[in-house]
Amino acid sequence: MLTMNNISKVYQTDMVQTHALRDFNLHVEEGEFIAVTGPSGSGKTTFLNIAGMLEPFSEGQYLLDGIDVGGLNDNQRADLRNQKIGFIFQGFNLIPDLNLYENIEVPLRYRGIKAAERKRRIEQCLEQVGLASRAKHLPQQLSGGQQQRVAIARALAGEPRFLLADEPTGNLDSLMARQVMELLEQINRDGATIVMVTHDPELARRAPRNIQVVDGQLADFTLYQGTQNLKAAGV
Amino acid sequence: MLEIKPIFHALCRSKVGAILLLIQIAITTAIVSNAAFIIQDRISYLSQETGYPEQDIFIFNVMMFGQDTSPSQQYELDEAMLRQIPGVVDAAYSSTTPLSGSGSSSDFSLKPAPQESKSARSSYMFIDEHGINTYGVNLIAGRNYSEDEVIVTENYDELSKVIVVSKSLSDELFPDGNGLGQSIYFGDIPLKIIGIVDVMKGPWLKDSRPDNVALIPFIKAGSNARFVVRTEPGQRQSVMNRVEEAMLKNYNKRVISRIRGLDEDKEQYMAEDTLMMRMLIVLITILVLVTALGIFGLTLFNISKRTKQIGTRRALGARKSAIISYFLVENAMICSVGLVIGMIAAMYLGQLLMQHFSIAQLDVRYVIATASAVFIMSLLAVLAPAKRAANISPSIATRTI
Amino acid sequence: MFLHYLDLSWRSFKRTPLVSFLMVLAIAIGIGVTMTSLSVYHMMSADPIPQKSSQLYSVQLQIMDEGSTWWTKDNLPMQLTYQDAVNLNKAEAGGKRVTMVRTGFSVYLDSDTVKPFIGQARLTTPDFFDMFNLSFLYGGVWSQQQEATAAPVVVISKKLNDKLFAGENSVGKIIYLDDASYEVVGVMDDWNITTKYYDLNNGAFNKTEQLYLPFSLLKARELENWGNTNGWKHEKTNTFNDKLNSELVWLQFWVELKTPAEKQAYEDFLMAYMQEQQKRGRFNREKLEAKLRDVNEWMEYNNVVSEDNEILVGLSFMFLAVCLANILGLLLAKFLRRAPEVGVRRALGASKRQIFFQHIVEVAMLGFLGGIFGVILAQVGLLGVRQSYSYYQSLATMDLTMLLSAPVIAISTCVIAGLYPAWLVCKTNPAIYLKSQ
Repeated sequence: MLTMNNISKVYQTDMVQTHALRDFNLHVEEGEFIAVTGPSGSGKTTFLNIAGMLEPFSEGQYLLDGIDVGGLNDNQRADLRNQKIGFIFQGFNLIPDLNLYENIEVPLRYRGIKAAERKRRIEQCLEQVGLASRAKHLPQQLSGGQQQRVAIARALAGEPRFLLADEPTGNLDSLMARQVMELLEQINRDGATIVMVTHDPELARRAPRNIQVVDGQLADFTLYQGTQNLKAAGV
Repeated sequence: MLEIKPIFHALCRSKVGAILLLIQIAITTAIVSNAAFIIQDRISYLSQETGYPEQDIFIFNVMMFGQDTSPSQQYELDEAMLRQIPGVVDAAYSSTTPLSGSGSSSDFSLKPAPQESKSARSSYMFIDEHGINTYGVNLIAGRNYSEDEVIVTENYDELSKVIVVSKSLSDELFPDGNGLGQSIYFGDIPLKIIGIVDVMKGPWLKDSRPDNVALIPFIKAGSNARFVVRTEPGQRQSVMNRVEEAMLKNYNKRVISRIRGLDEDKEQYMAEDTLMMRMLIVLITILVLVTALGIFGLTLFNISKRTKQIGTRRALGARKSAIISYFLVENAMICSVGLVIGMIAAMYLGQLLMQHFSIAQLDVRYVIATASAVFIMSLLAVLAPAKRAANISPSIATRTI
Repeated sequence: MFLHYLDLSWRSFKRTPLVSFLMVLAIAIGIGVTMTSLSVYHMMSADPIPQKSSQLYSVQLQIMDEGSTWWTKDNLPMQLTYQDAVNLNKAEAGGKRVTMVRTGFSVYLDSDTVKPFIGQARLTTPDFFDMFNLSFLYGGVWSQQQEATAAPVVVISKKLNDKLFAGENSVGKIIYLDDASYEVVGVMDDWNITTKYYDLNNGAFNKTEQLYLPFSLLKARELENWGNTNGWKHEKTNTFNDKLNSELVWLQFWVELKTPAEKQAYEDFLMAYMQEQQKRGRFNREKLEAKLRDVNEWMEYNNVVSEDNEILVGLSFMFLAVCLANILGLLLAKFLRRAPEVGVRRALGASKRQIFFQHIVEVAMLGFLGGIFGVILAQVGLLGVRQSYSYYQSLATMDLTMLLSAPVIAISTCVIAGLYPAWLVCKTNPAIYLKSQ
């Protein structure tokens, strides 16, 4: 699903070069659920941005679903994001001026899906996250956990094969965090590949495969779960 | 992939900014269409054909205080002298000056006063047989006066018997076009039309009949006189420089004043309209700039307010062009409403101006043209900020601020 | 507290220099455009003689036969015939009276020091100077005796005295006008009026005359009228005497009436006069009509303020409205972004009122700055007007009233624009902004 070979990312400021990622190598199989942990400033977010094609990388090779991302232009990357990746952000990033329905509709519109099909998918996704009755509400009328569920519904509506979650429970209390986590596990069971960045070891432990980023490199590799999952991970 | 509905919903949730923009666009449209209409009206007024080679003609006044010469003889001598100056085409006595805003007018009738008959108001000038040539106007029918038809007098013992009129005056009195050879009456004085000149404007361009001009061959020689001189093209300034000296050399107990080109007289007369035109042009230019800046500023502000959501949209797969078109569509929607209100306001303002001032009915085409221009201007004003918005990195979405 | 608010405003100004600059620029442009047209309007419509403008009346008589029409809105001729002007002046009715007409001469001295030139002149009865509040540098007005005998005397302007006599006391000296000599009896002080209200016939904003002579000289020397002469019927006027006895209108007549009672009495007198004239075969009409208009009414009647200028003033104020909407938008943007800070202030105990006034002060400061720059822009605009149209030389200027009203208009405009954003920001619930972010 995702292969990174010797990816490097250098941030250039006036005086200093900062290596956010250095010779980063990772392979993710279809259907995996990976938790990425690491201390602040280790490069987690940079990894996520590059994985989601939100940011270009300086060196190396990145294959997403067999496509070499390095050679794509801005529009192609945008389309690829739209079709293959679902994003779940720490800050939910719902558009405050749009109601839930319209929020979920955003990526579908960019894909050019017809209105009837959009309606079907949105209703289905809202059902899935348990917010079908709130379609006309504005984001600020919901609690944090509900907002994150809407964000997940938005990520799911495009039926992506690859979900990128950035601290999906970071702004939520533990009860809500658990609900969101359960929802993600459900989605993984349904076949989507999930890469989740988190600083919460508790949460990470629930994922079948954990990786740790330290100083811009894949430093550790620990398995917490049983062998079936190992096999599924292809290790 | 126009997102009209969600954009509309989003707009409805932040009304004030949109309404302000709408008001600006509406007022701008109202002002600009009316101002443009007035400007166009002034331009066509200012650049109208007068019938004279204005650049080659100059005029000056003479005021004699010496008593030791007969004015009528002196003027004959002066004219002859003027015609001898190198570069001069012709020179003539002229009681008043065209295009200057100052002159004489009277009714000319088909029957002698006090009988009631058809009449037409016209400006008139007393000139001599050199007048028509000096003014450089085009005699299209009949003939000029002969020398002995020009009455030179110091009282009113003898009066003119013939007259040359402009085509416009002739046609007003004789709609069948057979004015030549007919007699018309200046009060009870009969004057036979011996010649008709083409376009020749009178002293008052703002008059309802600026084209009615009567040229009467009569010189009432007194202490005041006015001469008109036509020069070869390009020679006027040099002749103007010498004329005072030459006139005083001919006879020095007099004052030569106001030596000015015919075009200067016209400019003076039109100065207020020129000023109005310029002020309106400045006004609408600045107005359009201010409105464009307003749209520009408001879009920039909207973008900075929505940085995160733009990044999110990009992360969710929006192409750059989708971001640009979002802002363009949003602007176009506000603008369209503003323009509709503005066009109605423009027509209403035009109506008000027509009621209270001497301004013609606003031509709808100006309103439409202005609205189109304002629309394009607003899209251009949005384009730069929208491009900037499209360059917002999608990685903003993962940043927690 | 005000100073504290002012300090906060200045800091806020510096914090967002671009937006602040844009706002000041928008106000300045709006004020600049508005003040340019408003200044011209103000000068055009200004009362030229405020002390007694309501006591001086221009007199109009309806001399035309039944059925004849004039171009004025009430069908009355603007000027008087010679007969009426002289008769009204002679009659023992009303206060000070002035009959006058414009003329001109070639002016020169005995010596060759000054080249002959054309001088604008006014033939007037002697009350002129008192009536229009004119003062003398040297000498004074000619006597009634001199008026009665058409004495060759002249009052000259300060400017002409400077030109001819280098500003010295020239009373008793001789100047030549056309072919005759005249004795200077008085030198007037400067007469600073922008509107030549006493004779609006040949351009309302032309300069006042340089020479003033007894009205009786008109008949005695058969002097020419340099103003307007209008006829309404066919008359033979070949000789000067014909003209004096004709129904041509070409003279101005003013009367000073201090009270409404005096005015009423004078109106009655005019009626009686016209009835008496009817017996001599004049005023051939059913309904006799006379009109007294005071200075301001007279200027209004003569459309002294040009139509163009009224349109410009109207459009300028609409322009200002656009600038106002512009500023309002920017203020909203600026203030709402500050809502979190306001939340903190509110939490620290600032009242809504205090927050509101803090923002109003800030807006007023922007208005003040905009007003100052606006005045500068207006000066540029007025310079442009003067360059474009020299006739407006004395009109296209800002007097003290206008200079002071520019910042006042700017500040009040801005405060009006700022009310809504300030209210919006002061009613924000502090809790919202303290919780998030």
